[in-house]
Amino acid sequence: MNCRSEVLEVSVEGRQVDEAMLALLHTILLHRSTGKFHYKKEGTYSIGTVGTQDVDCDFIDFTLVRVSSDELDRVIRKAVAEFKDALGNSGSDGMGQISLEFYQKKKSRWPFSDECIPWEVWSIKVNVVNLANEQERQICREKVGEKLGEKVINIVEVINRHEYLPKMPTQSEVYNVFDTSLKDVQPYLYKITYQITDSLGTSVSTTMRRLIKDTLAL
Amino acid sequence: MAHFDTEYQRLEASYSDSPPGEENLLVHVPEGSKSPWHHIENLDLFFQRISFKNGFTCMLLGEIFELVQLVFVVAFTVFLANCVDYDILFANKFVNHTDSSKVTLPDAFLPVDVCSARIRDSVLVIFILIISGVFWLHRLVKFIYNICCYWEIRSFYINALKMSMTDLPYFTWQEVQGRIIEIQKEHQICIHKKELTELDIYHRILRFKNYMVAMVNKSLLPVRFRLPLLGDTVFYTRGLKYNFELIFFWGPGSLFENEWSLKPEYKRGGNRLELADRLSSRILWIGIANLLLCPVILIWQILYAFFSYTEVIKREPGSLGARCWSLYGRFYLRHFNELDHELMSRLSKGYKASSKYMNCFMSPLLTVVAKNVAFFAGSILAVLIALTIYDEDVLAVEHVLSSITLLGICVTVCRSFIPDKHMVFCPEQLLKVILAHIHYMPDHWQGNAHRYETRDEFAQLFQYKAVSNVFILEELLSPVITPFILIFCLRRKSLEIIDFFRNFTVDVVGVGDTCSFAQMDVRQHGHPAWMSAGKTEASIYQQAEDGKTELSLMHFAITNPHWQPPRESTHFISLLKEKVHREANPAFTSTHSLQSDSEPHSLIANLLMGPPSLASLHLGREGSINPVSIGVSEGASALRALSPVSTSLHLRGSYPSARLPRPDHPAVVAGRAMAGSGTDARTISSGSSAWEGQLTSMVLSEYASTEMSIHALYMHEMHKQQSRGEVSRHAWHGQESDESSESVNEDMEAARTFPRSSTFPTTSHQAGAAQQSGSQRRYGGTSDPVSGSFRAQRTPRMPMGGWSEENQMSRHHDPVPEEGSEDELPPHIHKFCKVFHCE
Repeated sequence: MNCRSEVLEVSVEGRQVDEAMLALLHTILLHRSTGKFHYKKEGTYSIGTVGTQDVDCDFIDFTLVRVSSDELDRVIRKAVAEFKDALGNSGSDGMGQISLEFYQKKKSRWPFSDECIPWEVWSIKVNVVNLANEQERQICREKVGEKLGEKVINIVEVINRHEYLPKMPTQSEVYNVFDTSLKDVQPYLYKITYQITDSLGTSVSTTMRRLIKDTLAL
Repeated sequence: MAHFDTEYQRLEASYSDSPPGEENLLVHVPEGSKSPWHHIENLDLFFQRISFKNGFTCMLLGEIFELVQLVFVVAFTVFLANCVDYDILFANKFVNHTDSSKVTLPDAFLPVDVCSARIRDSVLVIFILIISGVFWLHRLVKFIYNICCYWEIRSFYINALKMSMTDLPYFTWQEVQGRIIEIQKEHQICIHKKELTELDIYHRILRFKNYMVAMVNKSLLPVRFRLPLLGDTVFYTRGLKYNFELIFFWGPGSLFENEWSLKPEYKRGGNRLELADRLSSRILWIGIANLLLCPVILIWQILYAFFSYTEVIKREPGSLGARCWSLYGRFYLRHFNELDHELMSRLSKGYKASSKYMNCFMSPLLTVVAKNVAFFAGSILAVLIALTIYDEDVLAVEHVLSSITLLGICVTVCRSFIPDKHMVFCPEQLLKVILAHIHYMPDHWQGNAHRYETRDEFAQLFQYKAVSNVFILEELLSPVITPFILIFCLRRKSLEIIDFFRNFTVDVVGVGDTCSFAQMDVRQHGHPAWMSAGKTEASIYQQAEDGKTELSLMHFAITNPHWQPPRESTHFISLLKEKVHREANPAFTSTHSLQSDSEPHSLIANLLMGPPSLASLHLGREGSINPVSIGVSEGASALRALSPVSTSLHLRGSYPSARLPRPDHPAVVAGRAMAGSGTDARTISSGSSAWEGQLTSMVLSEYASTEMSIHALYMHEMHKQQSRGEVSRHAWHGQESDESSESVNEDMEAARTFPRSSTFPTTSHQAGAAQQSGSQRRYGGTSDPVSGSFRAQRTPRMPMGGWSEENQMSRHHDPVPEEGSEDELPPHIHKFCKVFHCE
């Protein structure tokens, strides 16, 4: 519970799914990334620079701004593509949820692996609609664009609030707060998971994990 | 997708150590996370662990011994069953020893190979061993996990809270809590808010307990049954409680998604029928699982009871006759947001009075029989003991030792049925004292303390140990009965349960989903008959019974003086405190004169009171003295006579002050002095900086409990006034001059006709309540005819209650100095009043 959660809901047409998801995820990550840290000897550090890039969408009247890091883009695109496939394969009414979770790692003692403690979770609920003709598509294209604009403002508002963020780490702890695997940008540690509503709640593994944890915590 | 590079591009140079020319421009100093205590994932568990503040070694040893005990019980049982040659032990078979004729214990043991062969051959034993082995391993894993957590908590105490483990037992919970709140400002253990409040911490620790208390309060759980022979009984055991918690809170597929949030589908009303179906099938499965596991649990219970209690029974058979607070009682009497140790200390304070009260009801027949049995058994015992002393060989005669033991037990048991010769039968007053500690009782007990029905109902809260959860009967029956309760009673309630969780769950920022009752919001859950008339907007379905919301609010505000309640609640608290204070204040001035000879005074008070109910009734009618204050003082004086703490408190709280000659009832004076000193000393000390350190907080918490007792008595008294004002208004006319004998009867009648609270319902009412809640859930509570008629029955009480209260106040003001005359009081009293208002 000790984490903020924000929920965004969008309804889009099937082919707009990946662009809409990319738009939202990139917007959030843009605000949750910093330049690379360069630690100095005295325990201080300087922050590298971050570039931005505008991306026009093909199926939506919308231009998204993202961090100009191809690596990051690749990772996100892969996750979104998986989500879209899963959504398509589910074959049902097409409800799904993709969530972007920012977390911190905490070292724990020997028998346990490091804990990942989330501090902010963004859940994007997607509702896929089917459209009959080209005219409706055209309208949808504009509407979704407007909606995404609203969401972006929404996200920025949330991010601008003065709320908890992990404290800036020292050199030895930077891995516990930031994802340092990329070479040109350094987002907070994040995880993207998705869930198709059809598959009845959580997957088996998470249920099992919870079960074991619950019995332990009696 | 087309890409456009904006002007904001990354400086490629920064791949190297630092951008040229920027070495000194952008330099940051990492704050680092020096303490690992920021942003704790599971705050619920974290606070819970902090709240059993026993010290690490205690917990460690406790857990280790639990594990060892488990092994021991199993191993010892198996050994007894398989490895002992009982023929030798009973001397049916002779051992041929070469050197001596004495039979030693090792002679009775079978040789190892025979023994292990016997164990290996028996399938049942192997089966039991495997099951207990699995169970033990599970416990072991849990143990290791727990120890790691305790270690973490230990370092939290030491490093963050700056309390050493040796001092820990001497810190009060309030201090620990205060430090946690301080810590939050620095480390942000909860990320939602900058500051934690006391209520947040309590909510997290008691999240599920609050739900359980609310469910017991609203009579949702099937724990009361009408049995053909035993009548109205309560059956609530630890096994049953465990199962309820399993179903609602943490078991697989429970209503809660995780420790802090209800599953979203349960928050929506849409598919409640489907959810209820799902819940009922889950209950069915859990019931069946219980049924299957029943033999295992039963065997375990029997063994465990045997090993833990046989020795106790032999040593002090009197403990069989002792009583304790039943599990149901603990839930019925618990405030919302009350921690275990707070509840237990409150109940323990009421223990003495409660057992006295129960002893008032010794049946004379039983006493006569017991006396005689004790006489005969005692004489035989005496002879046997005398003979033994004369010559030890008597013991060697067959069965002499066993008959001495049996006779001893018999005498002790009999003695517990013989009441104390010097005991006086004054149940009404005792019940008042009990009420001062336990804070809750159904309405119809008032004025009926001497009746057997009341006693029986009280016995449900305060059971014989032999019957109740602690040992033997219920706990042994529990594994057998629990599945049936689950399958046949709880399943029927599944829809109500679903509705309960939907209606009474609120999402509090920084805490998660909690029971809305636990918010202690008078407006949402207040009961108009409990002083929140006019403030509450709750429907019957939403009102907490027995004034639970109001009393809990008072209790929480008193135990946590730094807590800032929401606005309406602040208003309610300050109003009530002011009223109690006003009652108490005049006498405060005469405290000084009292303390020199307080004992005789309270004695005189008790004497003069006579049958207290009668006195208060009588005086109340005459209107000379406010009956509320009498009720309070009566309890308080009795309380004072009983508890040494309050006497010392009384001394502490007294100040040299001007005496107002007051022609008051001595009891009133005594009681008020109590109340006055209790409240005042507290307000002073919380205001002054001189009183600090551990002593203060200990003293404070003692004051707090006294203050709460007084408030509880006062609220009950007001409640009684209010309800009586309504019921007997039509009956009272023209009887003002009548004497008390008649009016007592009438009062009893009034109490009988008064609608009882639904936690102690009569049968007919219970049916009504069931019907009512049934219709409630169907129509959402406001528009259905049944609850409408119910309302119609109740609504006239509100204005009438208001009327009687007003009347009360005006009557009360006559003998007491008016506001204007308060100027005559010494100045410091004014100051206290101000402090009071500020609080």
